[in-house]
Parts: sequence; C-alpha cells; structure tokens
Amino acid sequence: MSNKLTRYEKIEFLGEGQFATVYKARDVETDNIVAVKKIKMGSRQEAQDGINRTALREIKLLQELHHRNVIGLLDVFGHMSNVSLVFDFMDTDLEVIIKDNTIILTTGNIKAYIIQTLQGLDYLHRNWVLHRDLKPNNLLVNSNGVLKIGDFGLAKLYGSPNRINTHQVVTRWYRCPELLFGAKLYSTGVDMWAVGCILAELLLRVPLFPGESDLDQLTKIFAVFGNPTEENWPGLKSLSDYVEFKPFTPIPLKNIFTAAGDDLLDVLEGLLVLNPLKRFECSKCLAMPFFSNKPAPTPGSKLPLPQNIRKTEVERPTLKRKLLDAVEGGSLSKRLFF
Amino acid sequence: MEDFTCPRCKTSKFQNPSLKMMVNVCGHGLCESCVDLLFLKGSGSCPECRIPLRRNNFRVQLFEDASVEKEVDIRKRVLRDFNKKEEDFNSLAEFNDYLEEVETIIYNLTNNIDVVNTNKKIEQYKRDNREQIMKNKGKLGREEYELEELLELEKQQQEMRKQEIIIEETESKKKKIREKEALIDELMFSSENAKNIVETFAQQAKEAKEEEAKAAPAKKTHFSTGIQIGRQTQSSFLPVPIEEGPLFVYKPLVLQTDGPKLPTDEEIASMGYTNHVRAENEQERAGGFRSNIACVRALQDAFSGLYHVRKAPVH
Repeated sequence: MSNKLTRYEKIEFLGEGQFATVYKARDVETDNIVAVKKIKMGSRQEAQDGINRTALREIKLLQELHHRNVIGLLDVFGHMSNVSLVFDFMDTDLEVIIKDNTIILTTGNIKAYIIQTLQGLDYLHRNWVLHRDLKPNNLLVNSNGVLKIGDFGLAKLYGSPNRINTHQVVTRWYRCPELLFGAKLYSTGVDMWAVGCILAELLLRVPLFPGESDLDQLTKIFAVFGNPTEENWPGLKSLSDYVEFKPFTPIPLKNIFTAAGDDLLDVLEGLLVLNPLKRFECSKCLAMPFFSNKPAPTPGSKLPLPQNIRKTEVERPTLKRKLLDAVEGGSLSKRLFF
Repeated sequence: MEDFTCPRCKTSKFQNPSLKMMVNVCGHGLCESCVDLLFLKGSGSCPECRIPLRRNNFRVQLFEDASVEKEVDIRKRVLRDFNKKEEDFNSLAEFNDYLEEVETIIYNLTNNIDVVNTNKKIEQYKRDNREQIMKNKGKLGREEYELEELLELEKQQQEMRKQEIIIEETESKKKKIREKEALIDELMFSSENAKNIVETFAQQAKEAKEEEAKAAPAKKTHFSTGIQIGRQTQSSFLPVPIEEGPLFVYKPLVLQTDGPKLPTDEEIASMGYTNHVRAENEQERAGGFRSNIACVRALQDAFSGLYHVRKAPVH
C-alpha cells in the first residue's frame, strides 16, 4: 500500500468537483501521465457512512469494464480516510470542442466522435451498464483523438425487473421524455436519447433542448417532435409524472438541421424517438448507412483539438470548467429554480 | 431600480417588470397606472405631500432616489433665470459668489428650507435682472460657441473625405479606360503575338490589383475604449484537413462470455423464455423496459463462465 502513495507523482492540480479533487500525475513505474481523482471525505458524518457512493459506483463498474472508448480505471488506492482513483489522462472533452468556435467540425469529425461514443456505449449496454449521465462534458477526448466515456458516478446496472431506479438522472438537457415523465423502470433508451442530443449539439454547436426546468424541457422537446400520443407511445399516460401539454405541430428535422444529409437525419430520427421502445440501440445505429457512407470518419490523429492542447499538451480544462460552469450556470442541472 | 415599489398601490418591479415610476416637481414617486388613475382630470394633489400637481408635469423617474429627481427639476427651473455667465462678472470671486448663491437657493428649495423667502429672492432677482436674463437667453455662452465650432470642423472634415473618395473613384475609372486603350493600341500597332500581349496586360492588371490589396491597410474598427467591433479578435478558424481515413465498417460487438450462445430476441419470444419472467406492466413498457431485457440478462448472467477453463496457472 505504501508504495502506491509514492507511485504517482503529482504534476499539477487540475480541478475540484463536488466530491473529488483531480490531479495530473506521473506514474513512476510506467512513466505514463495519469489523472488521480482523490475522493473528498467531507464531514465526519460522511466518513461514518463509509466510501462515497459515486466513487463506489465508479470503482465497482469500471474495474470490470475494459474498452477503447470507456475511460480506464488504472488503479485504486486508499490512504487514511481517503480513496484515490487513477484514470487514463484525457486532454479535453467534447464540450470544450463544441464551444471552441475556432474549430470547424466536419461531417467526418462528427462521424468519428459519434462512432466512438456508440461503440463505447454499445459495450456498456451489452454489459448491462447504463451510464445515465451522457453529455458532451463527460465524453473525454485525448490528444490522439480517442474518445472515452467518462464519469460513471451515476452509472448503474440495468435489466433487473425488481429493482426500481430513480428518474432524477441525466443532466436535464440530455434527459429523455420517459425520465421527465417519471419512469422508474427504464432501459438503454435513456442513454440513446442523450447520444441523439449530443449528435444534434455537434451539428448545431448549441444544445438542442436547453430546458430551463423539467416542464420546459418537455415543452422544448414536443415543440420539435409534436406531442406524444397513446398510439405512438402506448402506456404513456400511466407514467407517474405524466401531464398533458398544449398541442404542438411537429417541425421536420430537416428544417432544424439544414446542412445535414438524409443519412444523418435518419440517425437523428432513430435516436430521438419519443417512445423509448422504438428508439434505436447502439448496434442498430452503427449499422445505419450514415456511418459507412462517405465521408469517412476522420482518423483520430486528424481530429480537430482546441489549439492550446496540441501545442502544450498540458491543460485539461474539464474539471476546472465544470466548476466555473456551476458558478455561471452553465450546467443547469445544478442550479435551483424558483 | 430593482426593488422599487409604488408607495400608493404597493406594486413592485418584481411583481410587474414593466412597472414605470413617474415623478413630479414635489419629488414623490408614483407608478404609471396610479398617475393615470389619480390625475384623470389633468390635475390633482400628491398623495404624500398634498401639493397640487399637474398631470403633464409627470416625468419618468430616471434616478433611483426621487429626491434627486426633485432637485434636478428645481435646478432646471432656477437656472432658467439665473443664467449669468462668467463673462458677466468682473472677477472670478464675484462669479463664485453668484454660483454659491444659486446653489443655496436650489438647496433650500429641494429641502423645503425657508421656501417663502427663497421664492421671494428669486422673484427679486428676476425683477432686478430682467433685461440681462432676456439677453443671456438669446446669447450663447462660451462653451456653446466652442461646441458649435467643433461640430462645424467635423462637418468640414466629413465633406473633405467625401470629396476625396469621389476623386479617387473617377481616377480609378480613368485609369481603367487608359489601360484598355493601351491594350487596344498595342494590339493594333505591335507586331507581337496578340495572345502574348493580352497575357502581359492581364498579368499587369493582376499585379496592380495585388498591390492595391496590400496597400489597403487592414481596417480595424474599435471603440475608443479599445473594445473591438466584429470578429477581428477571433483568430481565424483552424484549418480543416481534407484527408480521409478508411470508411467505417460496422462489426457487431462480440462479448467474451465463456458460455453457451445466448438466444436471439426472436427465440426468446418464440421459445417461451419469457413465460418464466414477470411480464412488464404498461407503465414499465412506457418507460422503455421489456421483460425480455430481464430475461436476456438473467440468461447471460447464468451462462457466463460456464465453459471457462483456466488456461495458465495464475502466478
């Protein structure tokens, strides 16, 4: 145990989140650059409860998950009352890339990012893991253009008929209609909707449905797709938080994504289906013509990165920005609304 | 301005974001709708100080503090009469005394100190200086003169710039015509190949254009504060590489379960697997859950590792 404390040499402080502090460190044994996430032990009371729940989720799930597009948990070690998680070091994330207005995202770039996301997610779903917090901020990208799904703090195993889940998951803007209506038992559809929102955001460079409250979120969704009915979504009215909305006439996606090709619109339409049972799964999506059509997905090394990363390869604004965002109200889920 | 409340109807800016506060000479605020209501007949009294007011003296309140509004009002009125300029005095000290007196009058009126006497003083002053007041009203002060001059200068400069642009334009037009003529002359009288001549002329024209482009300085528009307008601050977009990799070929994900093959979705439905799992209810189906998900998971959990053989001894 003691050698683990000296194994990771702290390079710099990267950021601080609600539950953890993240450092960039060098693994002395392998000379690799890693990210060390030190879980905070907030108060005495928390310490009594034992290890932090989100950390436990991450450890439990990530220890057994190994995929090119899923963040790798390299090591876990404890010291005193602290637990530290050692991850692959990632340079940036999709949110930074989307918000960087000097970057032009071509169809090939978007295809490459979405293929990697879907492949990682397919692996998770096939292993009965729901991520439940997919958003550009949690899709980490390294300087080789490899995308990895990160932050498993909300991830959970699914597929058990007896276990009830909470519907208060997923950052609101990427939350699917069934969760907003209060579904307690759900499936892979929750992640697929989020992927659809992320794909749309890569195209538009702004969030597709930036809802200001849960009801506003549904309003924004229905304003595009029209109201769901018992015909296209059986059992809809039995959902616990179901409310009737004023009728909307659907807008064709073509009018929103004016520059997108038909094959791409098909993917969006497959992912953003109101009825979760009709929503496409990862494997079905990846088999769609858009992904095999030209233009080919951009190879990883050619994917655009924010300028400061290729040059210096030191900064990793993810967590720092997470904090800033919380202050500015960027991640709306953390804000209170009156 | 945020926590403004109308003293009469108690409506606040928070309740009604379009709330407009009005103020009259007495310096007491009222919201627009209360003004409409109370001064329906054109005049009435202030609900706070009972001073008779006229409706058309109500103005939108600019300052948060209504007493500031009152002072501004009084100052405007007083300075209409006390309009002497520095030139009207023999010495600076005298002018200062005069200003001091004006300030005292304004202060007294704003704070309701000795109003009767102050008003008398104003009347007195008006009577004594009637001629001068009238004269000064027509006369522009030194400052106004300066301002006038500045405006005039600016106008002239603008005019000059316009002229320059017109000259430049005619010049360039003439130049073009001259070039054309030269080309035609050359073609008519030169013994050289016509194609060559045209080419050299085209080349020249191109060079001239390039030079012009170089000569024109990059226009930078920014405010005097240094804030730039438009998108100059943005360094240009990152280059978009056109190189393409191989096309994507979908390969289904193969899970290493070390167990028997799982039944497909169709098999689960047709072979009665789901009979052994609790069927999903309507609400669960609406949430995206199907009992065959649970069925597949249970089967996979059960099958995983059944064929596992230890390949090499661990450690």
